[in-house]
Amino acid sequence: MKKKIKVLMTKVGLDGHDRGAKVVASLLKAAGMEVVYLGMYQTPAGIVKAAIDEDVDVIGLSYLSGEHLVFTPKIVSEMKANGLDDVLLIAGGTFPVEDIPKMEAMGIDKIFRAGSLMPTIVSYIEENVKKH
Amino acid sequence: MGSAKTAKSAKDCQVSWEDYMKAYYEKPTSFKSWSGFDLNALYTPDDRQGANYQRDIADAGQYPFTRGIHADMFRGRLWTRREVVGIGSPADTHERLKYLFECGGTGLNTIADVTYEMGLDADHPWALNEVGLTGVNITSIQDMETLTKDIPLDKVSWSLITASTAAAPTMAQYVAVAENRAYDPANLRGSIQNDPIHFRYCGFKPACPLDLSIKLGADVMEYCTRNMPKWYYTTVNMYDLREQGITAPQEVAFGFGIAMCYIDELLRRGLSIDEFAPRFTFYVSCHIDFFEEIAKIRAARRMWARLMSDKYGAKNPRSMHFRFAVHTAGCSLIPQQPLNNITRVSYQALAAVLGGVQSLHCCSYDEPICLPTEKGHLQALRTQQVLAYETGVTNVVDPLGGSYYVEALTDRIEDESLKIMKQVEAIGGMEAAIASEWLDRQFEAEAVKRQQEIDSGEKLVVGVNVFTDEQETRTPLGVQRISAKSAKDQIKQVKELKKKRNMAQLNETIKRLRDDTADGKNVVPAMVAATKAYGTTAELLGTVREVFGYPYDPMGIVESPFSR
Amino acid sequence: MVPKKKPDIQQMVQKLLTGDRRSAARLITLVENEVDEHHDIMRLVYPHTGHALIIGITGAGGAGKSSLTDHLIGKFREKDKKVGAVVVDPSSPFSGGAFLGDRIRLQNHSQDEGVYIRSLASRGNLGGLSRATYDVIRILEAMGMEVIFVETLGAGQDEIDIVQIASTCLLVLTPGMGDDIQAMKAGIMEIADIIVLNKADLDGATTCLRHLEAVLSVAQESQTSWKPRIVPTVSVASKAENLRGIDELVQTIGEHQNYLRSSREIDQAKFVRIEHELGLIFKDELQKIIFKGLRGTGKKKKYIRSIMDRKNDPYSVVDEVLNTYLFSGK
Repeated sequence: MKKKIKVLMTKVGLDGHDRGAKVVASLLKAAGMEVVYLGMYQTPAGIVKAAIDEDVDVIGLSYLSGEHLVFTPKIVSEMKANGLDDVLLIAGGTFPVEDIPKMEAMGIDKIFRAGSLMPTIVSYIEENVKKH
Repeated sequence: MGSAKTAKSAKDCQVSWEDYMKAYYEKPTSFKSWSGFDLNALYTPDDRQGANYQRDIADAGQYPFTRGIHADMFRGRLWTRREVVGIGSPADTHERLKYLFECGGTGLNTIADVTYEMGLDADHPWALNEVGLTGVNITSIQDMETLTKDIPLDKVSWSLITASTAAAPTMAQYVAVAENRAYDPANLRGSIQNDPIHFRYCGFKPACPLDLSIKLGADVMEYCTRNMPKWYYTTVNMYDLREQGITAPQEVAFGFGIAMCYIDELLRRGLSIDEFAPRFTFYVSCHIDFFEEIAKIRAARRMWARLMSDKYGAKNPRSMHFRFAVHTAGCSLIPQQPLNNITRVSYQALAAVLGGVQSLHCCSYDEPICLPTEKGHLQALRTQQVLAYETGVTNVVDPLGGSYYVEALTDRIEDESLKIMKQVEAIGGMEAAIASEWLDRQFEAEAVKRQQEIDSGEKLVVGVNVFTDEQETRTPLGVQRISAKSAKDQIKQVKELKKKRNMAQLNETIKRLRDDTADGKNVVPAMVAATKAYGTTAELLGTVREVFGYPYDPMGIVESPFSR
Repeated sequence: MVPKKKPDIQQMVQKLLTGDRRSAARLITLVENEVDEHHDIMRLVYPHTGHALIIGITGAGGAGKSSLTDHLIGKFREKDKKVGAVVVDPSSPFSGGAFLGDRIRLQNHSQDEGVYIRSLASRGNLGGLSRATYDVIRILEAMGMEVIFVETLGAGQDEIDIVQIASTCLLVLTPGMGDDIQAMKAGIMEIADIIVLNKADLDGATTCLRHLEAVLSVAQESQTSWKPRIVPTVSVASKAENLRGIDELVQTIGEHQNYLRSSREIDQAKFVRIEHELGLIFKDELQKIIFKGLRGTGKKKKYIRSIMDRKNDPYSVVDEVLNTYLFSGK
């Protein structure tokens, strides 16, 4: 049986602009993936706990309000502390192009800013999922 | 069709003459408007059979105001050039405000950050990382004092953008500061967004339960109607709804639906339509389909006039005015090739002006990247100024009126919007549509459609699915960062304020606020008093929330420091 | 591509028995994906199961199942029980993907170490439950969960599966359903041990309640002596004081469980459940064997074509295949 790719989509912190996260989740479903949608007001600990219990292959973070440099290291260290080295970490939303190398250095595998096309996101995930 | 060639520089460009000929003879791939209307190649008088100028269009300043709410429009007064400002601490925001004012801005416009809109004080645990990142947090009267320092409140027009239930404390904070500075609130000019109902759809549901939204929204509206005749007490926010991905007719239909929730509540309270309607305003998007946006605005004007006179029996022509501010569509801008956004915004600003806008905010080109840099903000303002002073569009009122296309499109959008409004009525009205989550489903469906249109190439966006050159590695003109020190200082100030203030005095005012809420009174006066006693945003809102049976803190962590 | 390590099943199950969440999560994935080690896993897990209280919750979308699950988890946690929840959402028949959005409504328990929530996609199973659901529940049992909720979207006629899995089945309805209740065959409602009339604060709730009572009263003689109970609830309210019926629901679940125990029907029910499951597993395994045997021979295609052309029929094909592959000992 073909393994389904399981993705955790979540917002982080107080920001409630979830339209992008919801659209990406719907279209990942349309691409055949199983998407656990966590919603808003998530903490790094909560995200990682859900990722463990749901045994996801990918964590997708949605950022808008400029908090990406604050939360990303917390999430990455929580993942490391819990041994989630085989989970792909991707992020999307609103941030300057200058921050992309910073976030990648922090541990994000790939960034898809607003203006990204879904087929690009889907093929990236399919080609880079680590667990399969 | 533009290919995804990576043209690094003029030197190593290789032209394909095949591709060139194709591009030379290129045709558009679609003849639909952005919202999906099929469009003819040419519009003629035949498309306007049965049209009646006096009944459906009329001169500007004449019912149904299709051509404009004033007879002379910009010849009588230019639109307000009002750039939205909200950046870091109240002091930072104040600085940027004054800067833009000095550069030619003619209206002040400040926006709340995510923490303030949620009704959290700057020292709330969840606010720690996010204070000042998307706007300004006003926790206490001190913050409002800093924000308005040295500005003559009776001379300026100030637009306060707090949309959620936190608009009530915002109004109280502004009035408290004004009164302390011996201004008569009756002389204050400006507006407050105050549209908590729509804000549920922008990620602020915990702060905007429906019943509380109507209560506090209407309290502010009623208070202003009675005490602040020069103040616009709401700008019903169709803009943020449009940002979710819906179409132009949906923007009008849903915006009107929400407006009616407030109107019905005010009428229920015994106000008469002509008493308050002249101060009702809207916040409208200007998206990228040039003619559609102009037609949308004209349709909205006509529809509003008819709605107010036919459904609500308004007699005062000013009650029938669709009075609006425009925020150019943030969702149409993209971070790739960001300078293109200046072009997009220019077209959108032009549409707003040709549509007859009263007050305009142009997005800075870095809108999809960060908060506006000083340069980006200035550029946006200059866009307005070039438009106002150089292009001649202010010379004539409703210059596109009479265009066969624009009038036909205006009619089309009106028809479509009315259809949607009937649909909502059939469900039981806007409140039912909201409570049953029908509206949520509309937003979800449209948002997915928009992305699919872009993924498939049905809608073309330069830099996203056409002409996608190599990405910049730097944001032109720099990135606006919010200093962590600013936030820390503000949080420190808030904590100190809470220690130093006179709790006995504050307790009295909070008790009054609680009693007024329980007695069904308008809570704004009590909020003003509590603000003067150094009550904070979270404390004012939390007290009212508790009376309504909601948790004091929307995040469910902080307990009320006041005994019941 | 890093070559996959064969999972060490023995070790994983050992850890599982100590309550290790990571092992539980991984084992659930393996079982969901029906890996080769599936049977080995269940062989090791099975002896540690059979003791948990399994409660099924089914009903149409929007009825409020997740919010009820949320409250019920809380109530059982108050009794210091370890609680698991398996929430099943439908897979898209077109893409095979799924949107698993129930965790949002179970946020209150996201930090509780005594609660384990897992979202599953139905993966084509029309019954609203996936084949793996039985086994996922067993893994949670072996992990130490004492109460396990299974929540599924019952699209209407096919909730049979939930009866096989859970010892107490809740069917969640809402007053808005109006005509649907008339149209609903009484049989569906008999499957439920408890009918939860959620959103009981809405207009029409009383009428709906009477309708339900009427339908139940003319329903066919149930095979057991437990008459389905109706519990009105309000599971979603912005103010805690407006919630209703949750305690009554917990009590009614308790009463049903007592009934099962005292009437010894619980044994009979277990017998039937295991019989049903055996049937399903046999069916699955036999299918696998047959199709494995036919693979590469081109015979499957030939058979199907001949049936399409009406030169053959499905029954003759099956008889022929079984005779060839099973009974002749090949």
